[in-house]
Amino acid sequence: MIGMFTHADVVDALRIGVLLTPRTCLIVDDSRIIRKVARRIVEGLGFEVDEAGDGAEALIFCSSSMPEVILLDWSMPVMDGMAFLRRMRVLPGGAGPKVLFCTIETRAERIAEALAAGADDYVMKPFDGDILTSKFAEVGAA
Amino acid sequence: MSPDDFDRLQALMSSRAGMRLTRDRMKLVEHRLGPVARAQSFESVEVMLAALWAKPVASLGWAVIEALLTPETWFRRDRSSFDTFASELLPALSAARGGDPVTVWSAGCSTGQEAWSLAMPALEQGLAIEVTGTDLSRRALEKAKSGTYTGFEIQRGLKAQTMLRWFDQVEDTWVAKPQLKAAVQFARSNLVEPPKDDYRFDVIFCRHVLSDAEPSRRGDILDNLERRLVDDGCLFLGPDEQLGGDTVAFRPVAGRKGLFVKAPSALRRAA
Repeated sequence: MIGMFTHADVVDALRIGVLLTPRTCLIVDDSRIIRKVARRIVEGLGFEVDEAGDGAEALIFCSSSMPEVILLDWSMPVMDGMAFLRRMRVLPGGAGPKVLFCTIETRAERIAEALAAGADDYVMKPFDGDILTSKFAEVGAA
Repeated sequence: MSPDDFDRLQALMSSRAGMRLTRDRMKLVEHRLGPVARAQSFESVEVMLAALWAKPVASLGWAVIEALLTPETWFRRDRSSFDTFASELLPALSAARGGDPVTVWSAGCSTGQEAWSLAMPALEQGLAIEVTGTDLSRRALEKAKSGTYTGFEIQRGLKAQTMLRWFDQVEDTWVAKPQLKAAVQFARSNLVEPPKDDYRFDVIFCRHVLSDAEPSRRGDILDNLERRLVDDGCLFLGPDEQLGGDTVAFRPVAGRKGLFVKAPSALRRAA
């Protein structure tokens, strides 16, 4: 009976499918407060948010389910952001996520280093909702 | 501040700058005028305004007006307009000008982010461009000319790659590189005053200005923009700004929010 469906029906079905599958973002930061602030902003952009407290935790999360966007602190205990990024990128599907570093480190050389290591963008702390929203838009995630 | 003070401020903003001061901004106005009163050595905003009404000194009047303009701006604000400009208009215009610089006016540029956002994609494509940013606020223009932004300001709308490419880190701030600065100039200009010469731009960005303008002055502002735009040029307003009945000089471009070209009537007048 496929002939009974119009092109518009198919488009609608696809659109509903997209709406029913929320976009996902993993926030990796050892500060619970930063995670909370970032979560509120990212949820406001329509993302379903998960959290990890360090790179090792985040890597375990990514090996079972790859998020669309990763907001990544640099300096963390156990495994830092840079080590996480390098290992995550070689996991199956690891090229997929848009990775935004989000850190207190603001030296130009370190920012360049993070981008060279495969980060899509870089947020310098402190940040606010406008900054994060514009960064998500610039990497094509909003 | 008394209701009478506010009425007079409204009249001042409208007559000199063509800008509308709505009553819901009373608190904001008091907040913004505090530093002006202190800088001008008045003991309070009320005393400053009383002095201004008693003897309307131009410099004090402008200091007050400039403090009340909306300075809000960021890099690539309304990204789709910048994408249209960079990937469609700019290459076509540059080819049409035979490689001569494409001239762009950032009208109401505030602290300059829009002007840099227009110059960067041209330089990245190797296309010649001359961007002129104008604003009424001297303070905003000073910052624009310095091309210096805090970490907070620089990353609002700008990707890190772009930031590193076009701005140098100087201690805690980010400063536009000389190569970028060479493509942009800033000057003070009042959009309600008719142009005094025949200079015309290829493209005008005048976004989030008309929505703040006094409705009765919007027509004047649009007429002045029209006189500064070449016949085959483009005008960008904010994506939600419309012309309504304010002018017959421009018509919207279908499917491109905020993009306008000259209407046939304006072309005839120009010819």
